[in-house]
Amino acid sequence: MNREPVLELVGVGKAFGSLKVMEGVDLTITAGERHALIGPNGAGKSTLFNVISGMFPPTAGEIRLRGTRISGLAPHEINRRGLSRSFQITNIFHRLSVFENLRIGVMARHGVRYGLMRPISRMSAINDEANAILERVRLARQHDRPAGDLTYSEQRALEIGMTLATGADVILLDEPTAGMSREETDQAVELIRVVTEGKTLLVVEHDMSVVFSLCDRVSVLVYGRILATGTPGEIRSNRQVQEAYLGEEVA
Amino acid sequence: MLARVAAIGVVLAVLIAVPPLLGIGWQNAMTNMLIASLFAMAFNLLIGQAGLLSFGHAAFFGVGAFATLHLMLAIEDRSVSFSTPLLPLAGAAAGFVIGAFAGYFATIRSGVYFALVTLAVAELLHSLAPHWDGLFGGEAGLSSMRMPWGGLSFGSTLEVYYLALGWTALSILLLWAYTRTPFGRLTLALRDNEQRVRFMGYNAHATKVIVFAISAMFSGIAGALLAISNETANYSLFSLHVSAQVVLHTFVGGSTVFLGPVIGASVFTLFAFFVSDVTRSWLLYQGLVFVLIMLYAPLGIGGLVQAHMQHWSRLRWPDLAPAYALAGAVGACLTGAVVFLVEALQIVFSPEYAAARRRLDGAWPPIELFGLEWQVFSPVTWIVPSLLAAAGLLLLPHARRKLRESWDGVLERAEAERTAEPEPQLAGAVEP
Amino acid sequence: MHRRPRIPRAKAQPMEFLIISALNGVIYGLLLFMVSSGLTLIFGMMGVLNFAHASFYMLGAYIAYTIATTVDFWLGLLVAPILVGLLGIFIERYLLRRVHSHGHAHELLLTFGLAFIFEELIKLFYGDFPVNYAMPDYLRFAGFTIYGTDYPFYRLFIGFVAVAMFITLYLLLSRTRAGLVVRAAERLPAIAESLGHNVPFVFMGVFGTGAAFAGLAGAVAGAFFPTNPNMALELGVIVFVVVVVGGLGSLEGSLVASLLIGLFSSFAVGLDWSLAGLLSWVGLGDWARSVGGVFTLTLSSISGTVPFLLMLIVLLVRPAGLMGERN
Repeated sequence: MNREPVLELVGVGKAFGSLKVMEGVDLTITAGERHALIGPNGAGKSTLFNVISGMFPPTAGEIRLRGTRISGLAPHEINRRGLSRSFQITNIFHRLSVFENLRIGVMARHGVRYGLMRPISRMSAINDEANAILERVRLARQHDRPAGDLTYSEQRALEIGMTLATGADVILLDEPTAGMSREETDQAVELIRVVTEGKTLLVVEHDMSVVFSLCDRVSVLVYGRILATGTPGEIRSNRQVQEAYLGEEVA
Repeated sequence: MLARVAAIGVVLAVLIAVPPLLGIGWQNAMTNMLIASLFAMAFNLLIGQAGLLSFGHAAFFGVGAFATLHLMLAIEDRSVSFSTPLLPLAGAAAGFVIGAFAGYFATIRSGVYFALVTLAVAELLHSLAPHWDGLFGGEAGLSSMRMPWGGLSFGSTLEVYYLALGWTALSILLLWAYTRTPFGRLTLALRDNEQRVRFMGYNAHATKVIVFAISAMFSGIAGALLAISNETANYSLFSLHVSAQVVLHTFVGGSTVFLGPVIGASVFTLFAFFVSDVTRSWLLYQGLVFVLIMLYAPLGIGGLVQAHMQHWSRLRWPDLAPAYALAGAVGACLTGAVVFLVEALQIVFSPEYAAARRRLDGAWPPIELFGLEWQVFSPVTWIVPSLLAAAGLLLLPHARRKLRESWDGVLERAEAERTAEPEPQLAGAVEP
Repeated sequence: MHRRPRIPRAKAQPMEFLIISALNGVIYGLLLFMVSSGLTLIFGMMGVLNFAHASFYMLGAYIAYTIATTVDFWLGLLVAPILVGLLGIFIERYLLRRVHSHGHAHELLLTFGLAFIFEELIKLFYGDFPVNYAMPDYLRFAGFTIYGTDYPFYRLFIGFVAVAMFITLYLLLSRTRAGLVVRAAERLPAIAESLGHNVPFVFMGVFGTGAAFAGLAGAVAGAFFPTNPNMALELGVIVFVVVVVGGLGSLEGSLVASLLIGLFSSFAVGLDWSLAGLLSWVGLGDWARSVGGVFTLTLSSISGTVPFLLMLIVLLVRPAGLMGERN
């Protein structure tokens, strides 16, 4: 496996006014790995995602994507450099059809952003690709349904599909299985495993069984700092992690 | 789809064939109807497709008109040669440029801020124009004349009408084509969820500026047609009343239906033509209709029409017809009461009536309304609207209940049909 | 009948111009604040931008005019805000609450339609021309004399009413239980509700109070400035600029922006500055004058445009407004 670093965080910090929510975060994600970010509620996992994806700039440190600095860029610029994220709270186009939701992403990948000269229906490459993603996230039967009418787990699947559609190869998923039943979670994990094949994945997850079955490496974020990074086995046996977080669940 | 194309074909045929048979007044009214329709369609590109509510679209309408007049003046003194039928291009260009500039500022903020900034941009022009002689002709404005071109004199109202028809039809066609393009789809996505658009690799601000500029461009064409039709324009084109009209037209017609704004603009402009000789309170009625639609039919006339078309096969007319008849009767009673009251008050409070009273040493002369004379202090005069209002209000709850019941039936049938479809497979389910 | 004092020109009497313009500006700013405070308070709490807010100002003036001409001037000042406040409560309770579920844009459109109706109703009853609403003669005297110019007492009176209103508002918000709920509801409506406060009732009260303040402003100022069917629109647009500049939802921001725009407008009226004048400092004055157009527009002739320009600048520099939320 190619072990070159794809996403690097060096001393990243974030403060809102005088409130520091994150400090000195160092993290390296290598190409092709599936990396989980775990930590108790309020540890700053979502903030870290927001800082990486450009929702707001970090107040300290630097973030690099394949060696180029992306910290401080706008979300759309980061996306165009090949990093795409999903949202913890489903963030889709409610009144557009399921197919359209995915096609918006595919359009971006093809660079058809301001296309006004040709009807979209004639752009078969884009339509085929959107349909292919629709198949991959197993929503083909819902092709024309307004996305707002889908069930919760269907919307979560669509959320993942939209994250993939822009063609990024670094994927950030924010609690993709939150609020799902056991069965739905298993299906979602299987889906994530299949669709992120060959891509680099950073995922925030609360469900330890998901983390340990899906991911190659795990980082633990506590109080805005990285406590430990390692393989699932190493993390499981790490005393510090057990005390701070895993506690009763694993030990 | 075929039925829809056929319907549009019939409407176009009527718009082409009928006006030569009408008088000049009618031809003028229909020209205004076309202009208002195009303006409302341009406005609705913003609110209907992009979800941006502008209260200052008069700015681009007016800019289009002034740009066209400048071009007409240049043609008139022979410093420029330009085809008269292509004059609206000047309006389009000016609308686009000013729209891009104003849109850049307005789309920095969203929601109500956006609405306020657009309003302020129009007011900026409104306050500036009377003082800027060179560009806006000062308080008097600019005037010019249509020049003949290619064997056409452009002297008659009918020729102007056909020019307006051509440009309006073309513009609406282009606006429809817009919705089929990738950018048109992106516009809808922007309306639904701006944040997600940004995280999918699109520059949301640039996108909004472009949509804004395109909307301003079509508004500019509408303004150009007005300038060609009137051969004059002054700073009052920038007033909030012009911006307000387009908001009213669009929402009464229905902003969620593609041709909804055309319905609203046509109904209001033609109605204004009918009643403006009869009453001075036309704008008040417009405001009342708008507020009632906002309260009771938020999707406008177009939304009502669309609901009927969507559920056509499920409508049970034996249920609906009595409900609609009752609702119609209630509406007629209440409308009658309101119109009577407004018209009577309008006469009693008018300066003319005050003058008549002075002539009669303070006596209260009878007022003339609906071809009859009414004594101001006679109980009969006030019993008529009171009875109408009482009848309307008494039957109102009943009518609303019947309407709701009959439509609940329709929606239930629609829901039953939907759930009767085979249960869709769960997303993410692993195939065996 | 001269109601406006002579506007001093900057070149003739610099000191006089400075003092009179500053006073006029502050008082106009305070008047703007009387209207914008209610607007911004309502927005901060309910998220509703009330387009009809300036209509309350106009209705206040017309109601006070009606009472002043039939009964008494002071009774008008008392009754107008009460009636306008009741109207505000009615609108909130029976109209706005109805469309609340359709979203804020819909609420905005509804109030937009109401503003339209109010203007037409005023035209219906009072005609499409200014009415002669004037202060009683015994209030028509000079508050003080400066550089030989009488400064009208009534202008000072407008400023005094505005300050009294501001103090009342401050005390209401900071010292009363209702004010506490208002401030809580402004930040977190759900929490205020869960604490057992009747938030819809508080909303209604705030809406009514805001309307009453605007009505009072109209009743007081209408007797000095022209009272006509356009007054709602003319002031309304400036008030909207005030809240954009100040930051919607921020009372302090709206006070600062009101004063700022009041002062800017007041000074602009007396200044014959133009771009040509500015360019003549670098020797391009004659060229600019020969080009004409935008170069020779004087600041005084575009004084009505100044607030809008100020707003565009604020939008570029500080999109959230002077004191608006940071994000």
